[in-house]
Amino acid sequence: MNDTLSSFTSLPAKELEALDKAAGWSLNALELAEAQRQFKKMGRQPTRGELETIAQTWSEHCKHKTFSGPVVFKDGSKVKKYKNLFKETIVKATKTLNRKWCLSVFTDNAGIVEFGRGGKWGLAFKAETHNHPCAVEPYGGAETGVGGVIRDILGVGLGAKPVLNTDTFCFGRLDSKRKLPKNAHSPERIMRGVVEGVRDYGNRIGIPTAAGGLYFDEGYLLNPLVYVGCAGLIPVDKIAKKVIPGDLIVSIGGRTGRDGIHGATFSSANIDEDTSASAVQIGHAVNEKKALDVLMRARDLGLYSAVTDCGAGGFSSAIGELGSETGARVRLEKALLKDTRIEPWEIWVSESQERMILSVPKAKLKKLVAILEAESCEYCVMGEFPGDGRLLVTHGGEAVVDLPMAFLHGGVPNFEKPARRRKIKINAAPPARPSGKYGQILKELLAHPNVCSRHSVITQYDHEVQGGTVGKPLQGRYGDGPGDAAVIWPQAATLDQSDFSGFGVSHGFNPAIGKIDPYQMALHSIDEAVRNLLCAGADVSRTAILDNFCAASPKDPEVMGDLVQAAEGCLDGAIAYGAPFISGKDSFYNQSRDADGREYPIPLSLLISATAPVEDVRKALTINFKEAGNPVYLAGVSARGMGGSVYNELTDSGNNAVAALDMKAAVKLYAGLGKAIKAGCVAAAHDVSQGGLAVTLAEMAFSGGLGAELDLAPAAREKKLTATELLFGESPARLAVEVVKGKETEFLRLVKGLPVAEIGYVSEEPVLSVKDASERLFREDLAGLKACWRKELI
Amino acid sequence: MIIETWTKEKYAKNEEDGFVARMAHAGLKLERARVSRLYRVEGSFSRPDFDRLGKELLADSITEKYSLRPGANGFKGAWRVEVWLKDSVTDVVGESVKGAIADVLGKEPAVVRFGHAYYAACESEAKLKHAVVKTLVNEIVNKFKIEKI
Amino acid sequence: MKKPKAIILRGTATNCDIETFNSFKYVGAEPELVHINQLLSGGRKVLDYDIMAFPGGFSYGDDISAGKIYAVKMRQLAGDFEKFIKGRRPVIGICNGFQILVKTGFLPENKANSQVSTLYTNDCGHFIAKWAKLKVNKNSPCIFTRGLPEEIELPIAHGEGKFIVEDKKELAAITDGNLHALTYCENPNGSMLDIAGVTNPAGTCFGLMPHPERNFFAWQNPDRPAAARETEAAGFQFFKNAVEYTR
Repeated sequence: MNDTLSSFTSLPAKELEALDKAAGWSLNALELAEAQRQFKKMGRQPTRGELETIAQTWSEHCKHKTFSGPVVFKDGSKVKKYKNLFKETIVKATKTLNRKWCLSVFTDNAGIVEFGRGGKWGLAFKAETHNHPCAVEPYGGAETGVGGVIRDILGVGLGAKPVLNTDTFCFGRLDSKRKLPKNAHSPERIMRGVVEGVRDYGNRIGIPTAAGGLYFDEGYLLNPLVYVGCAGLIPVDKIAKKVIPGDLIVSIGGRTGRDGIHGATFSSANIDEDTSASAVQIGHAVNEKKALDVLMRARDLGLYSAVTDCGAGGFSSAIGELGSETGARVRLEKALLKDTRIEPWEIWVSESQERMILSVPKAKLKKLVAILEAESCEYCVMGEFPGDGRLLVTHGGEAVVDLPMAFLHGGVPNFEKPARRRKIKINAAPPARPSGKYGQILKELLAHPNVCSRHSVITQYDHEVQGGTVGKPLQGRYGDGPGDAAVIWPQAATLDQSDFSGFGVSHGFNPAIGKIDPYQMALHSIDEAVRNLLCAGADVSRTAILDNFCAASPKDPEVMGDLVQAAEGCLDGAIAYGAPFISGKDSFYNQSRDADGREYPIPLSLLISATAPVEDVRKALTINFKEAGNPVYLAGVSARGMGGSVYNELTDSGNNAVAALDMKAAVKLYAGLGKAIKAGCVAAAHDVSQGGLAVTLAEMAFSGGLGAELDLAPAAREKKLTATELLFGESPARLAVEVVKGKETEFLRLVKGLPVAEIGYVSEEPVLSVKDASERLFREDLAGLKACWRKELI
Repeated sequence: MIIETWTKEKYAKNEEDGFVARMAHAGLKLERARVSRLYRVEGSFSRPDFDRLGKELLADSITEKYSLRPGANGFKGAWRVEVWLKDSVTDVVGESVKGAIADVLGKEPAVVRFGHAYYAACESEAKLKHAVVKTLVNEIVNKFKIEKI
Repeated sequence: MKKPKAIILRGTATNCDIETFNSFKYVGAEPELVHINQLLSGGRKVLDYDIMAFPGGFSYGDDISAGKIYAVKMRQLAGDFEKFIKGRRPVIGICNGFQILVKTGFLPENKANSQVSTLYTNDCGHFIAKWAKLKVNKNSPCIFTRGLPEEIELPIAHGEGKFIVEDKKELAAITDGNLHALTYCENPNGSMLDIAGVTNPAGTCFGLMPHPERNFFAWQNPDRPAAARETEAAGFQFFKNAVEYTR
């Protein structure tokens, strides 16, 4: 390789490509040519370290060049051009909304919104994916995923204290019969490894894992998705950070080793047989906890002027980012190493976990070191930020990198990507009448892997550490009902038990709809996330959201077409709901070759994570029926279409139309219900989502150990709606609410003019009975329904 | 020196069941099974030092036993699968134990690595190896060897 | 009235220290978070405090076994801890704290301060977090459980909570002395005699697997009946009792 490096500037394109492959950089032809041009201009050959730095800095993982690049979208004869798809959709929504409670968006490691009263605190929120590592080594991949997103929160501003972890996983079906390629793990093994990884890391570091989801689809058989999120609290006066020239570069936490070479570029490459071991790591939660404990103490004493996490790209990205204006002088021989057999450039780009980089004024080093030692946290002083804009990295006498910062952070050349609308045939004819009884269908839906109980996973996570998980993932009379949103009371961060401010966190995720209509998928997902927050009693007029896209290869115009439509949905949905995006991430190339050598892509997957304030956590809502005699209402209009439903997965109804979301109506409805909740009229609320209305009602009933006598006849509905669509359709913007007896008049006054209809009452008898005018739909005892639902997934 | 610790038979049922179930996932039926934990400690310590580590640190005094000799748990007529993390992979437990050994003996060892030994009585070594690769180890991060005992 | 000083002992990955700190503060103690390194370096002395708490968490990763490494670190200071406990000052070990007290040999109390019991891997083989109903032993000398109703609810969150005593005499000492102050209504981990918490005969040193700091207020309960939301809950009493005992 050294030979080719010494003639880098004169290499023909073919040899550049070969060099890229041999080194594992994942740079494309444009980028290689640009690097070559730059060094030609400087009149010298690059070092390995310099090219590694460029590969890391320009990688998909760090720059997100697909989403923020130019795209041409063709929809039949219509053509739309984007210069920067991300800016023209996601960011545009946030800019248009311009909410004053958004304290930091898209610029730092996480988004920050105002939290609580008095303007003292900010809430930082971020979600990430760690898909490829989890496919290869599920346990280590999940651990390091969790560790990575926690470091994003530790590295936002001057550091936020993590108070909640979230996780959403997509796996192939556990009963999959499809033949796997030689090196692929079974979905059962991937799930077990991922769950254990999240468990062991989250539990050890003492952050509750209390929100998320599990989704099974054959599309994820070879490419599981592992979304990990983290929320943390930060004092508002600790949000700004600025490296001061002369500050020392201090690395704290884990040591650097060969175990983390080429993670960033790995995330953009297809997984194949010779995936190198070094791309996979095992997490070290205890080291990260030490760093966390040090950071929180040192932050409050003002012992550093900036911090960031070592993520993709390792020191090269973290120090490069902090020093992007000042430059950086780095002495790699000072780094604490796991292993002495490591090249200097490897130290520079290694992605070894659990490291944070601090910018420390010289005069404060002594105090910082005292804290580091008191917490048994390892550290090393690696150099300083000089202020000359030059990145100079040496190892002893050897120059590893010597470049102007502007070179790295300047424009990355980018291809214009073609995008095209996928052709999907829509059948909007009424669904076929089911052959079985509705009660039996309900039981089958409750037992479906995408609906059934997640307790066997959730109970492995310490979801209540820090004593602030007021809205729990498992709730209700028996502590096992499926909560809609986590409600967190961050007493362990504020240290104030007399302040009852909290926040809710929920998700929306509908890839089955995305296969039919990516635009509606985005809308439905935003709606679902907001509705979940409403059901927990949060103030949804102050919702902030995160987008996490996972897609197959962007070289496929239809994959790009799906992305464009979903991104447009994000823009429209965010604006309609008044819910700005505050942070986001994307992951491409989630496809692999199957056992027959064919490409096997995932469906476009958009996870919307949402957060909204809960003014008084003591008044947060849960989903379970509370008291016999209370009236039950259905809010929202049931619309036609079975597209993307769990029902269709069980037995294809023939109808695959997706109900279009009426955003304006939904926002109005939620505002009215929000007032009713605030006035104390509502005893329980639960959204209608996977499995449809029947599942929603069943879950409310068996989680409370109380039945219900219901007649859906008064419920608002689209004309010609069939019973199948009413019970099992998944049209958006609907929720069931239990109203406190004696407060009906006030409730009705607050929801006047909205599609909210009384459909019956909660009963003592443990039976769920549902009819539609004269038609008896089903009558099932709760024990039977719950037995179907309560499956052991793991 | 490798110090092996294992759960006394009367408390080991769940651990064994877990291992048996895991192998069953890969289609292998085990007739009998046991699990041990392994600590490879490198440092200039005397035999009484290692004994002290086994007794005071590594084995639970109520539920576990230890030995400085591999396979001393009395499990015979079976295969022994020794599983370690590759040397290039961070060994979190090993690092913790390294610090704890310094607390007990007043001197830090050069290296500590943590692993497992699985004892399995089953039909054939080939089938065992297949199941081990399928469900127990990941050759990207683990190394393992199987021997007849 | 002078506030009793409570030392909340930390170490690496002691995770429940802040909520335990908050709980002691709420009931009128003056808590202080102290890292074991501060004790080992002589910066703090346990005998300067009135109450001692070992919070939950995964001290030192719970590697080897839960609480073991923390217990080993405490050995150098065994004399001070022994004086504190024998002096009948209140000591509570919650979850990982209980595991530490067991592995140091402070609980169940015995002459040699040697480990006579253990908290071993749950029967299910892994960590489990859920709410558990518990019976309060009204005949127990335990000062922490005074005034509680016969049955309470607290969350558990542990991987190694199976309480085992091998020696029959030691077990008899527990049952005869009513030292098992808390037992599970439905055994979640395989503990002998469904034991969830054990005290010393004086009732002042108490270890339990469930987390009282997580059911300190009614709104921390998974089933929040509208009427009982804004009150203190069962867990509050454990902390309150400790402070009252010092007066």
